[in-house]
Amino acid sequence: MARPAAVAKPPPRPRSTRARSATPRRLPYLLIAPAGLLMLGFIAYPVGSVFYYSLQHYNPTKPWRNGFAGLDNFDEIFTSDPLFWDTLVFSAKWVVVEVGLQLLLGLALALIVNQTFAGRALGRALVFSPWAVSGVLTSVIWVLLYNSQTGVTRYLADLGIGEYGTSWLSDTSTVFSAAIVADLWRGVPFFAILILADLQSVSKDLYEAAEVDGAGRLRQFFHITLPHLKDAIVLSTLLRAVWEFNNVDLLYTLTGGGPAGMTTTLPLYVANTSVDAHDFGYASALTTVAFVILLFFSFAYLRLSKFGRNES
Amino acid sequence: MSSNPRRRRLAAALALTTALALTAAACGDDGTSGDKGKEGSGKGEITFWDNNGGVRTEVWKEIIADFEKKNPDIKVNYVGIPAESVQSKYDTAIQGGGLPDVGGVGAAMLAAIAAQNALEPLDDRLAKSPLKDKLSTAMVDSVRAAGGGEQMFTLPTSANNGTLWYRTDLFEAAGLDEPSTWTKFYAAAEKLTDKGKNHFGYTIRGGEGSIAQALDAAYGQSGITEFWNGDKTTVNDPKNVAALEKYVGLFKKVTPSADLNNDFKKMVAQWDSGEIGMLSHNLGSYQDHLKALEGKFRGIPNPTLDDGTRVQVSNPVDGIGIFKSSKNKTAAWKFVEFALSHESNSKWNEAAGAIPSNLEAAGDGWVQSAEATKLAAAALNDGTIKIVQLPYYLPDWNSLSKADNEPNFQKVLLGKMSAKDFLDTLAGQLDEAQAEWKKQQ
Repeated sequence: MARPAAVAKPPPRPRSTRARSATPRRLPYLLIAPAGLLMLGFIAYPVGSVFYYSLQHYNPTKPWRNGFAGLDNFDEIFTSDPLFWDTLVFSAKWVVVEVGLQLLLGLALALIVNQTFAGRALGRALVFSPWAVSGVLTSVIWVLLYNSQTGVTRYLADLGIGEYGTSWLSDTSTVFSAAIVADLWRGVPFFAILILADLQSVSKDLYEAAEVDGAGRLRQFFHITLPHLKDAIVLSTLLRAVWEFNNVDLLYTLTGGGPAGMTTTLPLYVANTSVDAHDFGYASALTTVAFVILLFFSFAYLRLSKFGRNES
Repeated sequence: MSSNPRRRRLAAALALTTALALTAAACGDDGTSGDKGKEGSGKGEITFWDNNGGVRTEVWKEIIADFEKKNPDIKVNYVGIPAESVQSKYDTAIQGGGLPDVGGVGAAMLAAIAAQNALEPLDDRLAKSPLKDKLSTAMVDSVRAAGGGEQMFTLPTSANNGTLWYRTDLFEAAGLDEPSTWTKFYAAAEKLTDKGKNHFGYTIRGGEGSIAQALDAAYGQSGITEFWNGDKTTVNDPKNVAALEKYVGLFKKVTPSADLNNDFKKMVAQWDSGEIGMLSHNLGSYQDHLKALEGKFRGIPNPTLDDGTRVQVSNPVDGIGIFKSSKNKTAAWKFVEFALSHESNSKWNEAAGAIPSNLEAAGDGWVQSAEATKLAAAALNDGTIKIVQLPYYLPDWNSLSKADNEPNFQKVLLGKMSAKDFLDTLAGQLDEAQAEWKKQQ
């Protein structure tokens, strides 16, 4: 059937060529301008400020010492500050162990809650719940768990296991493991959530085809699941590594960096240098070094892992 | 995740850039200060920062309500800041803006804040105030010294004193006298310890704040009464070394091994919830003990030597100051005067169990009935205590007595460093800091 002829609309009023071309070009910039200005104010300025102060002697409680330092702060860091090397080594150890264990446990939990079983929704909620708990609350929970009078060691001592008055956070042989466990509880859900999200997008056809070809569960995991998860794993481990490197809150609350400086990370050292000693120049130089280390690590990690380049 | 590799790389780069930038932004500082503020009309709003928020919130709110009733044209905005983070809050506000009009500033942090030129000198205002001659001279001298010696940047609100808290029920059950001397203290600590039953004689402070307590024990036993001998500190005097060796020998022998990380809160909570004979802390924990152990504890000044000599290190005097940047200094001063009046100062110190700075308040009835405060005030006022004045005036004192040396004290407790090496290291740093400070005077 022939469609009735549409009523002709009057042609739009012609605008000038300049207005037509300029508005669409400017619009995206105008839309992102507020975000860009906020980024400049809250990120670029503080970062620039840290770089500036890293080249200064700056301690507001000792104004007579303040002034241009050149590379003095960096010279001191690399040549005469054993604490820098100690805290850097501890930070590296902390990052490797934490991120490695969080990835393995997060992957395992994601694979489990990706299966179909009764109570799966509850299982997923339980797995993800620690991520929803605030950092302060997490610290308080673990401080209480490790307390010598109210925590685990007290109840173990009641059962005749170990001694009264002990805490794993005060024992030089257990403090690292105890702190690792506390942070694992908080960090594992992060990996589980990200990996589970990526698992949802694996095509079932691939598994069916693999089954037809006689591939077992293990082979399917290594040849289908893991390659599919690669980019999610690379990105999440990288982000988590940066966060763990910068970990201050949990370790500060649990151990204060002790005993005897055994759990002092580089950022905790920076915090002590700036907050207690007011030596903002030196603390800025330490922060700049940490920034450069993380920058190189990140580029190297992304390049070596060929992030985003394995699309077939 | 996005299936577009370019988009994925872009997203990763953005996330990473933000994370890295936050690393570098973690230590920002613009180094500006020096707003001279205004006297203002004496009406309107002022902001008050309590330097022991949470613990003293209730009593401050009561005092503020009384003040607002008497001064209906002034509204006081109360901000409670936990004691452990108050210094960093002040430092941040000095550098970045946002200081209050009035704030609590203890003597231990006064030097660092005064050096940043953030506090208003109060000498002239006090000279014209009804509070003149009504404040403890010793406390006024103490805050003046802590601020550099020339000007008074805070008015003292209270004094504290090192106190040995002990469990009267455990002492009675063990047939022990009060631990009034160091000899009795060590004997009681040993007798009250039965690790298999979770009973310990003493709890030692091994974590944050450990240095002042360790020095208190060292000077208390050595009997040395001066912190400086000329330009050199006495902290590493052989008598102090021997005293500290004996004191750290208590760790694990009669104390929980968990004490290694004990800060004030953990130490007090452990004593209040466990079966531990003695605790060294100042009067500030009185209310906590009262809630947990009413009728089962006493607080006495630190033990004496066998000849009755009692030596203690100084406790920082708490104070209240006006910030230079205040736009309403007249109203802020009215609040300071009110907070230090007989009634308010008495009310505050009764709640804190501390010694009032207002001389009229110090004579109030509650001081006589709060035994620990009464004993401390009496010991301080009758001259039986010889006080070793710690150098709160040194800008380096805060870092030397905290982050720089607390890890070393833990090494001493763990047997990884000798008491002599610890005190020699501390002495070297103190001598250097003192020389630098003197050079600038």
